[in-house]
Amino acid sequence: MIGKISIDLHKVSKTVNLAIPTLAILFFLAGWKLSYYFHFGTIAFALLTLINFFYMRVQTGHALLRNFGLMGQARYMMESIGPELRQYFFANDTEEKPFNRTERSEVYRKAKGVDSATSFGSQHEFDAREVKVRHSMYPILKDQQIPYSLTFGSERGIENTYTIDKPFIISAMSYGALGEKAVRSLARGAKKAGIPMNTGEGGYPKYHLDEGCDLIFQMGTAKFGVRNDDGTLNDAKLSELVNKDSIKMIEIKLSQGAKPGKGGLLPKEKITDEIAELRGVPKGKDVISPPFHPECVGAQNTVQFIAHVQQVSGLPVGIKLCVGRPAQLEELIVEMVAQNTFPDWISVDGSEGGTGAAPKAFIDSVGMPLYPALKTVNDLLSKHGARDKLKLLAAGKLVSPERQMVAFCLGADAVYSARGFMLALGCIQALQCGNNTCPVGITTHDPELQRGIDIDVKSDRVSNYVHNLQHDLEELLSAAGCRSVQELSFDHLYIPSESTLAPYVTR
Amino acid sequence: MNKATSSTISWIAQIGAVVIMGQSLFFKFTAHPESVAIFTDIGMEPNGRILIGVVELIACLLLLRPASAHYGALLGACTMGGAIVGHFTQIGWTGERGQLGLLAVLVFVFCAVILYIRRMDLPFIKVALDESKRRPARED
Ligand SMILES: Cc1cc2nc3c(=O)[nH]c(=O)nc-3n(C[C@H](O)[C@H](O)[C@H](O)COP(=O)(O)O)c2cc1C
Repeated sequence: MIGKISIDLHKVSKTVNLAIPTLAILFFLAGWKLSYYFHFGTIAFALLTLINFFYMRVQTGHALLRNFGLMGQARYMMESIGPELRQYFFANDTEEKPFNRTERSEVYRKAKGVDSATSFGSQHEFDAREVKVRHSMYPILKDQQIPYSLTFGSERGIENTYTIDKPFIISAMSYGALGEKAVRSLARGAKKAGIPMNTGEGGYPKYHLDEGCDLIFQMGTAKFGVRNDDGTLNDAKLSELVNKDSIKMIEIKLSQGAKPGKGGLLPKEKITDEIAELRGVPKGKDVISPPFHPECVGAQNTVQFIAHVQQVSGLPVGIKLCVGRPAQLEELIVEMVAQNTFPDWISVDGSEGGTGAAPKAFIDSVGMPLYPALKTVNDLLSKHGARDKLKLLAAGKLVSPERQMVAFCLGADAVYSARGFMLALGCIQALQCGNNTCPVGITTHDPELQRGIDIDVKSDRVSNYVHNLQHDLEELLSAAGCRSVQELSFDHLYIPSESTLAPYVTR
Repeated sequence: MNKATSSTISWIAQIGAVVIMGQSLFFKFTAHPESVAIFTDIGMEPNGRILIGVVELIACLLLLRPASAHYGALLGACTMGGAIVGHFTQIGWTGERGQLGLLAVLVFVFCAVILYIRRMDLPFIKVALDESKRRPARED
């Protein structure tokens, strides 16, 4: 570095640390002898001197502050606005995670009903690992398509079947993870769009019921809302709950993509009177969601438990899981066949799924990603003759028509999305869901932050999003020459050898 | 010290600081002769008198809201610091001025107590205090 102008940060900070008290003294002298107004400077620099003393001599938690004082703080300040700066200025349109700018913008446009035509060319990489949809040489017209319809529970011939006429469902997000206004916006939007919404494991769905949309009640591992004190199922509470007209189906959550095999903890500070009542838990102590249902500790009793919930509720009952070891899943399917008891659907959640808060290790590295997991489940079901005994739902970043198409080709009958709908509500991916500080008021209970949400406007965004997804799906189906999503198959996918799906291709 | 006691102490100090600073505002804004005399001595009459009055008024208002009390205390401590410097240099401690000086010291102490109790609210300070006691985030 000889001969070059460089900045030695060590020297700069030493100079600054010396300059601060020196200036305090100079200002004091000037205030005394020249003009009293200089004492504003005296006080300011005296305060900085004190803070510096605290950093360098008192606190022990940060070595950087101990060594460099206030100048060290500059690093932390710059670092703290790094995520914003990167998002605003420096990050490439296709490099942010979990959703890059092009993916987010696509949802925003669909939610606002703005045309999403793109010019000149794609931002994607073509000779890489991305899966593409194979179109037909003979596309069909949209009016040749069969209107979508899917009936849950038809296989068992139960009385309370439930039919959806659009292949989109709002995936589980609890009241708790979401604030009241977000829940209301989603529920009202679901009603406007004519799609059902999953309640998440937040217990009694008070605000969802208020808005009157169709609901899939989720029973988490702690069974909030329908639990006994020991965390087992309270049949009476469940039968009471299913009496509500809006509750159409029940989903038993076995595991979730973002943290499969991990429960959760609701700290006692967060348990308000309302949360205690809705979830059916005592106030004043932490509530643990166990990593599994006490009733489900093996294939046999898991299937029995499904049958039990089906019998008590009289509604279609599904299970949600993230795939870990396919062999275990196969065991479960074999057991279903043996007991001739099937859930009315299986929701496959990919390990790329979202959450309000989960340990980083789980978010990043446990569970199978959606595409291979979905393909595995579909194949295993077919292998054991069980595919037509139930429906298959899929979740895991299915926020755009492209990814949804792939899921349909892999066997999904309908798609779930959680974060797609959050983006439709105006989520800016600030990554603060677990801190109660969501800047757009979605995953927070702070009334000042929720103030930003206008439920009417946001619920329209939700329904626009659904309509525009449906529009694109129909166009893609026509291009593939298919009359319904059921006609899509694995052969409709172009799978490069770098893809996670490559091992499933029979060449 | 548990949460309730420290919160009570903080409130007593907040009210104390507001009452003392508040009544002095009356003398500043009505141009009371002693107040004018002091500010003349330090060469800040009349603008400085009004300016300091306004700053103290803002400190009082901030001190009354729990969410901003720490900023009020910081502002209060700084203005009182300035006053105390004055008493040691140009104003002196004789007669009524001595009383005023002691009141300034008292408000300074109140503000210091508030700042100590509410240290976890202070930007730049809280980051360096023990973080390990924070509770885990909720998981859902
Ligand atoms: C804020 C938030 C809260 C969630 N809460 C639940 C929950 O209570 N139960 C559950 O099974 N999944 C929950 N999930 C996972 C989603 O339902 C979904 O499975 C996952 O995010 C994948 O879908 P996505 O990629 O479209 O978001 C949550 C996700 C988010 C982002």
